[in-house]
Amino acid sequence: MIIFIARRIFFMAVTMFVVSLLVFLLLEVNGEAVAIRVLGPYTSEEQRQLWLEANGYLRPAYVRFGEWLINVLQGDFGESIRFKAPVGDILWDRLKNTAILGGLVFAIMVPMGVVLGVLAGMAEGSPRDRVITLFSVITTSVPEFASAVFLSVIFVFTLKWLPGTSSMVGGFDWAQIVLPVAVLVLYAFGYVARMMRASMAEVMQSAYIRTAMLKGLPYRRVILGHALRNALIAPFTVIILQINWLLSGVIVVESFFAYKGFGALLLEGALNQDVYLVQAAALVSVFVAVMTQVISDVGYAYLNPRIRFT
Amino acid sequence: MNRDDLKSIHPKIPSLVEQHEKGALPRREFLRTTTLLGLSSAAAYALSGEILGDGLVEPSFAQEGTYGGTLRIQMNVMEIADPGVFDWSEKGNVGRQIVEPLAQVGTDNVTRPYLAESWEANDDLTVWTFKLRQGVKWNNGDDFIADDVIATFERWLDPATGSSNQGRFSALTVLEGETRTAAPGALEKIDDHTIRFNLTRPMLQFPESLGDYPALITHRSLGETLANGGSFMTDPIGTGPYTLETLNVGEFAAAVKRPAEEYWGEEVYLDRIEWIDLGQDPQAHFAALASGQVDLLYTLDVNLVEQAAGTPGLAVVEKLTAVTGVARMRVSEPPFDNKLVRQAIQACIDRPVVLELAYSNNGTPGEDHHVSPIHPEYTELPLPPVDYEKAKSLLAEAGYPDGLDIKIQCISDPKWESDQALVMAEMLKPAGINLEVEILPGGTYWDRWTTWPFSVTQWTSRPLGVQVLSLAYRSGVDWNETNYNNPEFDAILDQAEATVDIEERRALVLELQKMLQDDAIIIVPFWQKIFTAGSEKVQNYAYHIAREQHLNQVYLTA
Repeated sequence: MIIFIARRIFFMAVTMFVVSLLVFLLLEVNGEAVAIRVLGPYTSEEQRQLWLEANGYLRPAYVRFGEWLINVLQGDFGESIRFKAPVGDILWDRLKNTAILGGLVFAIMVPMGVVLGVLAGMAEGSPRDRVITLFSVITTSVPEFASAVFLSVIFVFTLKWLPGTSSMVGGFDWAQIVLPVAVLVLYAFGYVARMMRASMAEVMQSAYIRTAMLKGLPYRRVILGHALRNALIAPFTVIILQINWLLSGVIVVESFFAYKGFGALLLEGALNQDVYLVQAAALVSVFVAVMTQVISDVGYAYLNPRIRFT
Repeated sequence: MNRDDLKSIHPKIPSLVEQHEKGALPRREFLRTTTLLGLSSAAAYALSGEILGDGLVEPSFAQEGTYGGTLRIQMNVMEIADPGVFDWSEKGNVGRQIVEPLAQVGTDNVTRPYLAESWEANDDLTVWTFKLRQGVKWNNGDDFIADDVIATFERWLDPATGSSNQGRFSALTVLEGETRTAAPGALEKIDDHTIRFNLTRPMLQFPESLGDYPALITHRSLGETLANGGSFMTDPIGTGPYTLETLNVGEFAAAVKRPAEEYWGEEVYLDRIEWIDLGQDPQAHFAALASGQVDLLYTLDVNLVEQAAGTPGLAVVEKLTAVTGVARMRVSEPPFDNKLVRQAIQACIDRPVVLELAYSNNGTPGEDHHVSPIHPEYTELPLPPVDYEKAKSLLAEAGYPDGLDIKIQCISDPKWESDQALVMAEMLKPAGINLEVEILPGGTYWDRWTTWPFSVTQWTSRPLGVQVLSLAYRSGVDWNETNYNNPEFDAILDQAEATVDIEERRALVLELQKMLQDDAIIIVPFWQKIFTAGSEKVQNYAYHIAREQHLNQVYLTA
């Protein structure tokens, strides 16, 4: 088990290194562009050259990359051009906000998806299955930007129950988080439910379930004790991959509801060509992607008794 | 006030009074010009009322408002480290509550003294003497004196600062080789409350330029603070009625009221002003207003006007402006260095249709020169009709008989700018011109906004027509994005800027309008109305042509 995890972490480190090199090359190899961003468009060529020299941009790229990498490892991502503050200060705060949003989405989406999927898959083809399938297909096929507008019209403009944006200016407010969470849950739970249903339906037809039924075990015990654990294996990967999707997929929702999260930050950084901010955000995204991969591999191995560690 | 008194304020005032009496000078222009020349705005309003017999008084906000409360405004919150280099009016809106200008261009488009008490110009408008208001205190306890104004101007004119005020006040500078620096003796301190500006050429709109959003007067120590790594955000010393409490870029800013006895002006109503950054999505801004999370929007997207007007409890405010998306061609870049090409492009554009498709008809069609119908110097010019045959023959003559492939850059937000480019691209097709529209995010566009060969740039409204001509079309100035270089144009512009008489000035500006039209360097499809919306609780908020937030008279009802 330890070797298995160590190997995963080693591959993760290699991936991160390659990605950091790419990010560096894409954004920073052209020092002139960085100088324009930092000094502003009205500066003269002379001023830019002075800045480049003062900030070490005239040195070879590999020296700069090494230095940059060491800084990044120490958590120093440089100063954001848009926010005039260290990138780290802004980034963690925004990540925390997205983690709150994502955590709530998960806390609702996963149980809801799993339960609905199981209910549907238990009795494939039944009216209950049909209703659940129809509902999850419809919600999943409506994109976030459409359901955001739709829910806003109902709950903000017509019923006036909820606030229209979620900037949380006066501190955390439950009323403000409802709509962003609802939009994301509506969009994402369908995947989980569909995966769960398919997996459950397959398991339900397997020989050992039939045996369990025939030897007279209570239906409840068949489902919870035998079917569920086996049926969870495939959807587990999908569920973990949703973490990944949440981190970048929330851009639309965060922007629509003006929620100060990581997605909105990434969008703002990109629109303003905030080089250091985009670098940091890219690294964080990749880290989360690789990390979820590791978690999903380990979890998969744990759930599936056919995979054993060597 | 008799004529001799008027003459002592400025020799040209009596002739302005005469023109006003004869009806040759419209009221607004009379108010503007006489106040520019040093007459107090109250006196100007009174005089005009006397002449026209309609008992005009200065728009009075004297009705008793309610003190207290917090006004919450939706607006992007940006850094305001140095008011001298403000390049977004959002920055000016926070800055203006804390630091103030010498003159203010009001929401009625009339310029009034502000931190200055009065001013006088000599006959040829090259020497301007400003009396500063006495008894004004900075919020750190210092007296507001001439040194503050001089230090602020020195920073603006220093090429190392990179302030747009250097171009705005280019009459105070000289060109040495490639660099523009303050002219020797341009800034002259007479005493602690008197300053004389010695200009290298006449400048009519000197006071109005002082009212432009980046022209806020900062404390004499700001230069040192910045040099030591500080900023206006860490050290927000100001003369204004509010002090800066918080500013988190991209999130939130708040200003709180100074004790009324410390502020030189009339007591302001609001205890606190908050700016809340809700990102770039206009729909989110509107949702926040409709659900009561904010009281006022910075601006209301034109596509949301109808929806806002139909929402109970909201009030929509509009203003016709000189805001326009100038599709400008850089005359030093091929193929736009060829006038025939530029004329061919112009001949394809149906301006009223562009207005309708890109901006829902909320404006007035333009005439391919940069003087708007709201400007006092404006003369209506006929527009050549859409003529594809002419366009094709011009192209053939220019050496492109088989058509032309060109590209236009424009900004993604606001959307009407890219819509304008897309509509133009469709209009160019029948003439064989294939226009590729490249839509860029704001940062990317503005990085190179002066150097794109062909692009749509939004120009904000300014009170006088000569102002924008001077900023954008005079040879060699920073914001000359067309690289237009016409000595004859510069000379007439200098002359227009030195002419007080509105009829004479209009005649000069007419020549400038024609030159811009004949040289075919820009397409100005339309001038727009701008909108904003607020809760009905917000009282006395008038919209400003440059979206400036003047909040001293604003109050909230329950």
